[in-house]
Amino acid sequence: MKSSDFVLYLVHASGGNIQGRTLLQKRSFFVGELCHIDLGFDAHYYGPYSAEVDNAVGELKSLGFIDEANIGFGVARGGFEMKRYDYRLTHDGTEVVEFLKRSHAEDYKSISQSVQRIADAGNPDYVELSIAAKAYFILTKRRKPMSRAELVREAQKFDWIIDAVSLDRAVTFLEQLGLAKSNH
Amino acid sequence: MGIGLEIRDPIHGFIFREPHEQEIIDAPIFQRLRRLKQLALAILVYPGAVHTRFDHSLGAYYLAQKVSGRLLKSANERRLVRLAALLHDIGHGPFSHVSEDIFEECSDRGKLGLKPKQQIHEAITAKLISADKDLSYHLSTKEREQIIHLLEGTSGPGVLKSIISGPIDVDKMDYLLRDSYFCGVQYGIYDVERLIDTLVVHEDSYDRHLAISLDGVHVLEQFVLAKYYMSTQVYRHRIRLITDEMIVRGIMLGIKKDGISWLKDLYTYDGSDAFVDNYLEWHDERLTSELLRKETPNGYAKDMFRRLSNRRLFKRVYYGKPQDFGPATRRVLFEANKALFTKIEAKIASVYGWDHNLVLAKKITHKSVRTQATTNEGQITVMKPGEKSVFDEESALFKSINDAIREEFVEVYAPVTYKDEKEKKKLQEEYHRDITAMIEQLANPQEPLPLNVAAERPSV
Repeated sequence: MKSSDFVLYLVHASGGNIQGRTLLQKRSFFVGELCHIDLGFDAHYYGPYSAEVDNAVGELKSLGFIDEANIGFGVARGGFEMKRYDYRLTHDGTEVVEFLKRSHAEDYKSISQSVQRIADAGNPDYVELSIAAKAYFILTKRRKPMSRAELVREAQKFDWIIDAVSLDRAVTFLEQLGLAKSNH
Repeated sequence: MGIGLEIRDPIHGFIFREPHEQEIIDAPIFQRLRRLKQLALAILVYPGAVHTRFDHSLGAYYLAQKVSGRLLKSANERRLVRLAALLHDIGHGPFSHVSEDIFEECSDRGKLGLKPKQQIHEAITAKLISADKDLSYHLSTKEREQIIHLLEGTSGPGVLKSIISGPIDVDKMDYLLRDSYFCGVQYGIYDVERLIDTLVVHEDSYDRHLAISLDGVHVLEQFVLAKYYMSTQVYRHRIRLITDEMIVRGIMLGIKKDGISWLKDLYTYDGSDAFVDNYLEWHDERLTSELLRKETPNGYAKDMFRRLSNRRLFKRVYYGKPQDFGPATRRVLFEANKALFTKIEAKIASVYGWDHNLVLAKKITHKSVRTQATTNEGQITVMKPGEKSVFDEESALFKSINDAIREEFVEVYAPVTYKDEKEKKKLQEEYHRDITAMIEQLANPQEPLPLNVAAERPSV
């Protein structure tokens, strides 16, 4: 599957829009994991990040299939406006997805079901999803069971900060998705 | 460093070398770079662009000296970085980057055992470094292996890899300044001294990474913008795109239609020593002069290189933006489907009565400014007192142009001539209307559109 088709399916299955770059990246991360699609995620400042997904978004914007709108929400330290980038499927983008749904029905179904599983597991916001993505990324990299304390310590090695309460919610989310087991 | 061994360089001033590194510079494999122009036929647009891969490699070597001298404690690592910078372009063939498309067409990737994203000229570089007799004499097997790994980015500390290949590597640091200077433009100018001064190493539990201090954000903005402007104004100049396509097509036709065996041998990389021995004998001027010799039979390749020599260039007959096409066409057209582009060329040729071998259709992408400041691993790290951040977060300028999109378009070139500007304008409007319809039809065969092609056409 082309990465750009993956992003088209993902935005469509998410109701036609995704609010925020981080949410788009992290939702891509989990849908990719659930559907066994390698999107080239690697450790980055914000957590697992895929240049491939970012590039696909750029391509879809230039082709007019996705609109990117920036929403200002206050002023950060230093006086800069803080922005969130929202993604919306355009009319043309919707038309392409409808066409692809007919020719690649199984691909669309699999992505759509994964989006639904994430929603059923509590539909976490971008912050919660980001922490869950970091925790899962570390677990898959280490390939061994880890305690919560070990996870927090390991995250620090990537310069990621995870607090205990957020980690509890992340673990519950990963369990609900069937991506991790907790011995409590 | 360096006692008495110096070269005066127009960009960096005096370049000093270690004696044993001078021996590598003196080796025939490195001297060959004097005969490969840095920007291929950009001289047809910028007459001053006569600089070569040799000058550039020395420039990258000089910057590697400065950067590694600032950032690396180990003398072995500093030497490794200097040597990798010196040898990074050693595998380039005639007309540099344009060779890659031809290698891909003529070589068998499967037999060569290349990694999916590995380019063939990179494999040739590795082969040359490991097999060249002079390099083997001056560098140990281990050193040569380390250089190859560093150039391929397959092993070694992250900071070393980033100095050699990354968004702020010594390759770009040199070529932006050098290409600007020789092209006579100011687009690639930035404060190189300040950029180097603000580079830092960020160390975590896993690796050492190249980063920039908070003080370096403004010079990094300047550097990224320099790269963007050089891409749009020089590297992606309309005439340069045409000449590059003409070189590739001329050589491909020389191999496939004219049956020129020496061209085929030159571009069929099989990993053998015989290939390497032959490859090292070739450069821009020799390839052109061999094709233009009286003894070379007339054919497509000879005609194409005669055109290039006399600057009788193909013209751009079509420029199409994504918005010119329906959604279904856009999706398939801009994934650069090679078979579709071959069909488009054949269709255009048949409609206008042109030779389909001489119709060149190409998808072109201009990356966004934001993309120019990222790597496959994400954005450039900025080190602040007690914490780290990323370039996008710290640059007020890039925050404001963050959502600049990349551009995609399709162009078609052909050897047409126009009587005057009036005819040119009239025909270009017709080409745009007709070729857009042809592309729609070919990309969506189930939804044929009516074609309305004007009768009067210039001949090819």
